[in-house]
Amino acid sequence: MNFRHILNEIENQDPEAYHNLSDRRSMLGSFGSKVALAALPFAVASMFRKASAQTTDVVVDVLNLALEIEFMQYTYYRQGNNTGSLIPSNDLPGCKAIENQKKMHVSFLETLIKELGGVPFKPNYYTSPTTVHPYVPAAYDFTMGGTYTPFADYATFLKLAQILEDTGIHAIQGQITTLQTNNAVLTQMVSLLAVKGRHASFVRLMRRLAVNAPETPTPWIQNNIPPSIPLQKYYVGEDNTEQMGLNIAALGNTYYNSGLMPQTAATAAFDEGYTKDAIMTLIAPFKKI
Amino acid sequence: MNTNNTPETLQVQVEETGFNPSRRRFFQLAGGVAGLGMLAASCRRTPASDTWLGKGDVALLNYLYILKQVTVAFYTQAVATPYYDITASEVELQLDIRDQEVAHREFLKTLLGKDAVKTITMEMSAVTFADKSSFLSHAATLEDLSASAYAGVMKVLTDQSYIVSFSKMASVDARHAGYVRDILNHNSFSSGMNVLDSKGLNWMTSPSVGMATLSNYIETRFDISNLPTF
Repeated sequence: MNFRHILNEIENQDPEAYHNLSDRRSMLGSFGSKVALAALPFAVASMFRKASAQTTDVVVDVLNLALEIEFMQYTYYRQGNNTGSLIPSNDLPGCKAIENQKKMHVSFLETLIKELGGVPFKPNYYTSPTTVHPYVPAAYDFTMGGTYTPFADYATFLKLAQILEDTGIHAIQGQITTLQTNNAVLTQMVSLLAVKGRHASFVRLMRRLAVNAPETPTPWIQNNIPPSIPLQKYYVGEDNTEQMGLNIAALGNTYYNSGLMPQTAATAAFDEGYTKDAIMTLIAPFKKI
Repeated sequence: MNTNNTPETLQVQVEETGFNPSRRRFFQLAGGVAGLGMLAASCRRTPASDTWLGKGDVALLNYLYILKQVTVAFYTQAVATPYYDITASEVELQLDIRDQEVAHREFLKTLLGKDAVKTITMEMSAVTFADKSSFLSHAATLEDLSASAYAGVMKVLTDQSYIVSFSKMASVDARHAGYVRDILNHNSFSSGMNVLDSKGLNWMTSPSVGMATLSNYIETRFDISNLPTF
């Protein structure tokens, strides 16, 4: 019996089978020549069972972390977009586009989590008959305990929007290796991450151009520069210059007399990832207990 | 206009001319059974003078490396001949993007080592750098491609150890894409043809489609017959 034939049979029985492993090629590769031919069908069967049991739970955990952040972000933008003249009419279409895309992300993640057999996250204070899904203002304290007034002035609104966007990127980025067991989920989450990059870019650019934020932000994160000192913890480690064991700051850049890469570019060229624990700590001040 | 990427890579251009075909033959001879498929593929192949990308993950990394050579050349020209009416902020951010693209290019070049494709010749006559909307529409094309390329690469990538650094670059290139789209047309940082899909996710571009887009900016022709794609 041909090994490829066995794989094809499995695929016919369960079209999702390969989604449970990173991909068909890596599975073929992982067999090598050590498995006795007669044992192949059993080896294949046990491989699928193990892979599914081990990986689905942790994948769902990552998706639920992403979902928790999307609920929070959606609620933030919706509240801002509906607060009188908070957002200048010139920028309102952009903020509304972000709001709409956050809503799409909530649906996307909820559907995906259900498909994987998981239970989608719901914020505290989410009450089925009254909550206008996925808008849950009762769940959040966007003043961060009375420190900020994001819905009273645009500069503060954008400042916290930047924190929420960059933290959302750090959250997915930090869990990305967990998703590599499921290629379809991985590639979709990298695509979701890219949309977050577009959103972060916009709010940071508006801070630069529309409200002249004091640190003259760039659409990307240079070093570990926060919008203000008390928010430094949201950028810890963003000044990392090492990727895959290479020091990016030491790579050449012939446009400079030194021949070296500016530190700001070496750090801005890569968005960093944070652990789930770090993310939970960072988003806690935005949540009502 | 022809824009060669950097002076130091120009020097190796000559020595490379005869290199790729021989390396290709080496793989064909060394590949055993796998090589049979390649020999068959080579019958359909475009002229031997085309630069071969390699196969498997090497081809994928070379695809991203070529993408980065194009974006560096593109922003280098933009910095040299900025568009009319450019603002001080735009001058500064354009330099930022160029340097980050250099960082990505050098990173990929280092990962590839001896497998990196050598100097390629740019062909950017389609871009009118002095014209803001011409420059920014091409910038949007290249940045949208960058933001959408990594997911496409990951779909067919074998070595999972690249995933973290590739997704770190994906969100940064998406920041670039959002920026150039916004200054092209305010509030359109995430809208345009093939920018988002119906789920609100960023578009995903397959490696072969990505190479086709890049060919509009490159004079060098590539043999992508062993580039994994979908």
